[in-house]
This record gives sequence, structure tokens and C-alpha cells, in this order.
Amino acid sequence: MTKMAGLFRPKKLDLSGFVNTRLIRDNNKRMAFEQTEPERQALRYMIRNTSLSARVRAQAQLQLSQMHAYTRPTQIKNRCVASGTARSVFRDFRINRYQFRMQALAGELPGVRKASW
Amino acid sequence: MFSYTSRSVIGVSKHLRVPVPFRSLSSPTQPTPPEQEKTPAQDPTPTPTPVAPAKAAPVAPTPAAASAATPAATPAATAPASTTPVASTEAEQITKPSVKEWSERLGAFGEESRLPRSVQAIYLRPLRRKAEYGLPVCDLQLRSYSVRNVEFFTDFAIRAAYYLNLPVSGPVPLPRIVERWTVPRSNFVHKKSQENFERITLRRLVQIKDGNPQAVQTWLAFLRKHAFYGVGMKANIWEHDSLDASKAMDASVAEVEEALRPELAQFGQRKDNSAPGTIFDTLNSERFGERKGL
Repeated sequence: MTKMAGLFRPKKLDLSGFVNTRLIRDNNKRMAFEQTEPERQALRYMIRNTSLSARVRAQAQLQLSQMHAYTRPTQIKNRCVASGTARSVFRDFRINRYQFRMQALAGELPGVRKASW
Repeated sequence: MFSYTSRSVIGVSKHLRVPVPFRSLSSPTQPTPPEQEKTPAQDPTPTPTPVAPAKAAPVAPTPAAASAATPAATPAATAPASTTPVASTEAEQITKPSVKEWSERLGAFGEESRLPRSVQAIYLRPLRRKAEYGLPVCDLQLRSYSVRNVEFFTDFAIRAAYYLNLPVSGPVPLPRIVERWTVPRSNFVHKKSQENFERITLRRLVQIKDGNPQAVQTWLAFLRKHAFYGVGMKANIWEHDSLDASKAMDASVAEVEEALRPELAQFGQRKDNSAPGTIFDTLNSERFGERKGL
């Protein structure tokens, strides 16, 4: 499996800003999922379709399980675009809590200010 | 006419005010100044007006010192005193001063000339058209994080609607959207020390009533062209049709079909997918069971 991972890597780096090995890997996974999504959906449909023969469904199951891990949507994990961290990343800003705090205090996030109530 | 002349006379008293501040303050009305000019020359006794120069004089205010102080003040007073009798004749007064003082010029600006009506309107509340039927046509929602921006742009939108002949129902302040985040100030261990952040989105709703749909489109395009920084816009547009809508739709079928033809031509199996037989033949084949490239 791992030897195939290079297939999904673009020849030229197509990311900008903060770049990290893990960020690139996550991006590759996203690309792989995007490319193979129709195929995956077709196989999933066949597996669940009871009107198809058992053989066809079993084959579809096998084929789906044999697809590369990078094509699975569960492999995708949101990462901080400013530091590459995978933990406590805010969906609203796509940055993690530490970067959020730093940028909010610096006034780089529009409308975000310190709250007190 | 009368107001203009009285204004010019007051302007003279303003002119006087510069060398002799106390006197002109004591007598803002016009007829008094000629009387006041006489008072320092006639009686050397310290009247309320020359008190200030007396204070400037040495510590002991003897009558002699006071009398000495008043002549010192008089040269300044006499110079405007010589001008005022001249100014009293109005014909000369108008011809003489070619360049007036700043305050005078600014005052005259408000009196003599006026701004164009459209510019004046900016300082007043926005004008509105009256809705005849009250049928809502377009809902425009403006959002921003700052009150100033959203208020300003709402005002702008209402004014623009007036000039496009669109009846508007005023800015409705919609509920604010408050988002709050709490983050630890430091590492995981120091969870006790946290910090709160918030983002408040302010919203205003502007509704257009029974306007021409094209005018509404023009209005929206104008607002998009002159979009203000930090203000987002969202519009819901309703179009109303006659009861014969089905007839119109039937008539337009041929047109729609013609427009859809290139799209429908794409429908079906791809030509380059040149697998013989049905999809089941493909699925049942041995090759299909093998592992694919990906």
C-alpha cells in the first residue's frame, strides 16, 4: 500500500503558505478521494444493491476493500493551515486554537475581539 | 434683503470684537457701540470694561494709574471707533471690504448661497418613495462586524433606491449573530487559564416593495459595484407573474429544448468507453475482478 502513495503525489508542489510533510500528505489524500469518489460510490451502490447477484456484490466488496487507503474519505483530517497541527483546528478559520489566539490578539481575524460578559 | 443688511451690520460688530473684546461682549446689539466708544474717553473712572487693562497695570490700582491705563487702552479703541461711523453708512460699507474675515465669509456662505438639493439631502434623513401595493419584491440583508459600516451602507442603499424610484421599507435591525470561542491561554496542562473571544455579526434588512424587477436588478448591481469594505450582502428576489404563467411556459418549450439540446446530447454512455456488451458482461469478466491501477 505504502509504495503506491507516490501515485497521488503531484509532480510539482501545489500548496502555498505553510507547508509540512503531513500537510502535503493530507492534501494528497484529499486529491485521491476527489478523483476516485465516483468509483467508490458505484462500488458502494453495488454492494448494497440486493437485486444484483451475490457474486457481483462480493466482487464489488473486494474491489472496494482493495482500493488504496488514500482514496478513503476517513483518511482526511483537517489540519491547521498556519502551523500544520491536527488538533483543535477551528473549522471557521481552519487554524488551531493557539494560532487562533495569536492571530485574534494581533487583530488579523476580522471581527474577532476579546469577549467579556 | 433685510436679513442680508442686518447681517452685514452684525459683521461690523464682529470686526470690532478683535481689538476690543470686552466691550463688544458687553454689547452684542447694534445701537450701543457708538455710545460705548464715548465712555472711555469721557469718564476716567474705572468702568467694568477697562478693568482688565487696570489689572495688567502695577499692583496698587491708584486712580492715576487707572487713568494712565485707560489712555493706553484708548488707541486700540479709537482705531475701530473711527471705522464704525464710516461703517454706519451702508453704501460705503458694501464697496469697501474686498476680502472679508473667515468667520464672516463662512457665515455668508450659509446665508447667501445654498448647496444643491441633492447634496443637502445627504445631511438629512433619506428620502423614500411610497409603496402603492406593498408587495415585497426583494429582501436585501447587509452584514458586517462594525456598526458604522453597516449603518453607512444601509443608508447608501436606501438613498440609491430612492433615486431608482423603488419604495423601500426601512432598515430592520435583525438579531445579532454572536459567536464565541474559548481557548486555553497556554498548554494543555494550564486548562484553568482560558481566554474568550467573540465575533458579533450585525445585520440589517432592507426590503423593496412593488418595484420593477429590472430596476431592482439595477439597484443590486449598483450596490455590488459600490460595495463597501467589510459589508456583506445577500438578496432574496421574488418575481411575480401573471395567472397565465402556464401558457407562457408552454410557448417557451421550444426555446428551452433548443437551449438544452447540447446538454442532452451529452447524456448516455461515453463514446470512448468502447467496452462491448452490457455492464454485467464487464462485471462478470475476470479482468474486472483483478486489482485496478489505483
